[in-house]
Formats: sequence, C-alpha cells, structure tokens
Amino acid sequence: MADSMLPIAGARSRGAWRVARSVWFAMFMREAISRTMADRMGWFWMIFEPLAIIGVMVSIRGLFMSGSEISGADHVPWMIVGLMGFGLFRENMMRALGAIDANKGLFAYRQVKPVDTVLVRCFLEGMLKSFLFLMFMLIGDLLQFELMPDHPLGVLLDWLSLWALGWGAGLTVSVLGDLVPEFGRVVRILNLPLLLLSGVILPVMYMPYPYRDYLLWNPLVHGLESMRVAFFPGYHTLNDIDMTYLWFWALSLLALGLLLHIRFAARLKAH
Amino acid sequence: MGARGLNLSIPAGVSVGLLGRNGAGKSTLLRLIGGMDTPDRGEIVRASRVSWPIGLAGGFQGSMTGRQNVKFVARIHGANDEIEEIIAAVESFADIGRAFDEPIKTYSSGMRSRLAFGLSLAFDFDVYLSDEATAVGDRHFKQKASEAFKARIGRASLIMVSHGEGVLREFCQAGILLDRGRAFWFDEIEAAIEAYHSAGDGYAPPRPAAPRNLEEAKRALAEANARFDAAREALDAAGDSAAETAAIPEETLRWRLDDARERVHEARRQVQQFTARKGRKGGPRGQERPTANNTSPDKTSAKAKRS
Repeated sequence: MADSMLPIAGARSRGAWRVARSVWFAMFMREAISRTMADRMGWFWMIFEPLAIIGVMVSIRGLFMSGSEISGADHVPWMIVGLMGFGLFRENMMRALGAIDANKGLFAYRQVKPVDTVLVRCFLEGMLKSFLFLMFMLIGDLLQFELMPDHPLGVLLDWLSLWALGWGAGLTVSVLGDLVPEFGRVVRILNLPLLLLSGVILPVMYMPYPYRDYLLWNPLVHGLESMRVAFFPGYHTLNDIDMTYLWFWALSLLALGLLLHIRFAARLKAH
Repeated sequence: MGARGLNLSIPAGVSVGLLGRNGAGKSTLLRLIGGMDTPDRGEIVRASRVSWPIGLAGGFQGSMTGRQNVKFVARIHGANDEIEEIIAAVESFADIGRAFDEPIKTYSSGMRSRLAFGLSLAFDFDVYLSDEATAVGDRHFKQKASEAFKARIGRASLIMVSHGEGVLREFCQAGILLDRGRAFWFDEIEAAIEAYHSAGDGYAPPRPAAPRNLEEAKRALAEANARFDAAREALDAAGDSAAETAAIPEETLRWRLDDARERVHEARRQVQQFTARKGRKGGPRGQERPTANNTSPDKTSAKAKRS
C-alpha cells in the first residue's frame, strides 16, 4: 500500500499572486458549494426568501399607505429595487461578519489568510445577488411589472457601487466583530434602523424637510435613490443625491478594512 | 511562548526532533515554522516547501465530504491537472471506503486522522512538520503512516515534536533542545535526548537493544515492566506531595511513564514475535494467537499467512 502512494508534485514554489489566486478559487468553490448544495433546500430559499420579504413589504404598504403614490414609479418595482440594493449591501456586511470565525480551521494552511475568507464571501454574495436581481427583472418583465431598467448602464454602476460599499463595510466589520464580539451584536441590531433610514420602504421624499439633510448622511440613501433614478424614467428624488459621497464612504471603508486586516492578521488567525 | 530571541537555521535534508519541557515553546516553534503563527518580532524564512502539520484533522469543514475537503486543499496548493491523482491517492491511502463521499462530521476520529494523514502525504513537500498532539489513530494505521513516510526519506525530511523518545530516535538524525528560552542544536538526536535529560535532572533512559532470542526478549520485557512500575510510582509520589518535590516537574515524569509504557509494548511485541516463531515450528499453535485486532477477517488471514 505504501508503495502505491506516489507523491504528487502539488506544492511547487509559487509566487504570492498565484498562491492568492488559487486560494481564492478554492475558497470560492467551497463557499459556493456549501451555500447552495449543503442545505437541501438551499436553492429554493435563496430565491424564495427575498420574494417573501418583498411580498410582505408590499402588502404592508398596500394596507397602510394605499393612495400615497410615488411620483414616477410603480410601488412594487420601486420597492423591489430598493430591497435588492439594500440586501446587496446588508448581506455583504453580515456574511463577512461571520466569515473569519467560520473558517478558523483553515488557517492551519498558511496560504489562507483571514482577509481571503471575507473577500471570497463578499464576491460570492455579490454574484448570487446579481444573478437573483437579473432573474427578478426577467420574471417581472414577463409578468409586465415594468421591471426593466431605463438606463441599464446607470443601474449597473449604482449596483456595483452598493456592492463596493458592502464590501468595504464587510472588511471593516469582519475584523472589528472578531476582535470585539459585542461589535457584531451591535451591527446586527443596527440592521433594522438602517433599513428604515435608507429609504427602502418609506420614500425619502415623504420625510419632513428639516430631517432630509440628516438622512443624506447615510450613503445607502444616495446609492438606492440613484439606482431608482436610473431605473424609472420619470422618477423624482432629492436634489442632493451624489454618488461621489457614496464612493467616499466605500473607498474609506475598503481602505480601513484592508488596513485592519493587515494590522490584526495574526490576532485574527490566533484564537 | 517561552522562546525569545531565537536565531537558528535548520539545514535542508536533515530530520530534526524538537525537545523541551512543556511550555518551552516546541509546538509554538513548529507552528511558526509552518507559518500558522507569526512571530511577535523577527521573521521566518522558508527556503523549501514546508507542509502543514501532518495528520492535522482540524483543517476540515464538517458539512462537506472527504472528497470535497481533499479537493479544497489540493486547490489551495495550486494543483489543477493533478487534482484527480491527488484525490485518488488520498482515497486509497485513507482506505475509508464509501465514507469518503460522506460529510466529515459523520466520521469517527480515527477516520478523520486517516484522511488527514493521507492528505499530508499526497503532496510532495521538502519538509514535513509533525506535532505529536495532532497525531492520532490506531496502532495499525500509525504503522502504515510511518512506513509511508519512511519511503519518502531521502527526498524529504521531517521536523517533529514528540514526547516519545523512541519515535524521535526512529525518525530524526539531529535534535534541537529548547531550554529556558534558548535553543541548542545537536547533530545527533541521541546527544539531544541526553542533554534534555541532564538539563532536567540527570535521568538517562537506557538505549534500546534488539533482543536476539526469546529469553532475551523476556528479560527485556521484565526490565521494561519494572521500569514502568517505577515510573508510575514516581509519578504517583509526585502527585501526592505536589509542591514539595519540585525537583522534577510532574509532566517530565508523565512523559517518562509514557516512554516506559511504549517500551513495555515494544518488548511485549518482541516476545510475541519470538513465541509465534517458536509456535510455528512446533505446530499450528501460532494461528490461535490473536493477530491485529480491528481488521476484517480476510485481511487477518492474509496477515497470518504472510507472517
């Protein structure tokens, strides 16, 4: 038996970039399989969960706010766009929060760094969400919901911006949440207020005038409203929507997150 | 984390045993060499391909199958075209049958360690790391693993942490002794073991000698038994009068007991071998003797024919 075990050249000396690429590929395949296949109903829930949330939200709105129209957009597609954009950001952040802890065992292989687990998760999450959004658009269009973007390129750019913001938040939050467990709890608690303050369910135009300025501090508002403007031809929103502001946040968070990952790499691996 | 300010280089192609008391930093040094930990200061330079600790069973994801886990590790190490070969090699070495395609969380610890061992050996590293704490498995499988590893000596070397002096003697040529935050290099593992003991209390274990006949084997067994009893008594005594006899730390006594136990097993095996040989000459009596325990019936009979 021992003789039949031919050693195979697998671990030849490689450059850092090639090592990182093979780690990312391996992690991606692993995450993708465990996200979609490990659970028996994995695929079903991935599609059904956002559908159910949209259904609940739409019916709540129908109950309490019937008659209050959003200028320039049907309220179902309007909400779908908002929920998808917000979901993209939130899932990136929340998946990243557990990424390091879930993959602790893998740091025994020195090729795997804590930052890899976060990067791969965010990438996979974004891909899944993009696929889902495209599917909703197609199905919605077939059902004549007017779910086809007016400016596809604009929507794409806004979508990528929200993804970048989620990615930055994920990188930052993953380190802080691992070093200080309470931090992760606080982030989870902040999910719901963030949903309400991002104009996902309540249009920002309904906000009393004096509070709008505060609302505009939230980068998500800029991303979501900008995406809706690109989506619906006649949609009106606040005048101060500015994607530069969102990118200021996104790039700052990305830089901060990467810095934290470099600074605390050893601590993140250790416990 | 006892070691501080170490500066040493381990030459290529030499198998090295790391010795030192508990807490001297053996495992930490091994983890540093393997790149799992980063030093607080200074750097580790690896001039060759270094493995993760052999037989490490912690690097698996429980919800995924053995095959998927093997695939993952192979991919990390840059295998693209060889991936199928690696999987086949691990599958045949681990020899866990259909469980290979079942989630790791359903495995017993023995199955896990078989898979982990097979995985370590499927890659062509220059230096393998081995930490005793991570090596588990039944005797039969340990034997298989050590044979597989010996077949690789010449192309690869080993850096190992072990409390069993027999294991160190078997695999290592040189030794590093970690003592009070400093590291000492020895060209001969035997010298390192002696230095380890004299750093402690001057206790020197007898060098093992291979018996030539049944009488010698029996005598060796009796000696080993006596030694084992003495070691146990020493440990019990230390346990009773905890703080007073700080001359020899308790863990040293415990390793000594482990070592003595290992020698008793070895001596008993040799006595059995001689008896079996004798028995076969006399008649079919040797067949009655229970052979390897947990193997399937057909394997057992194959073994009996061969021996």
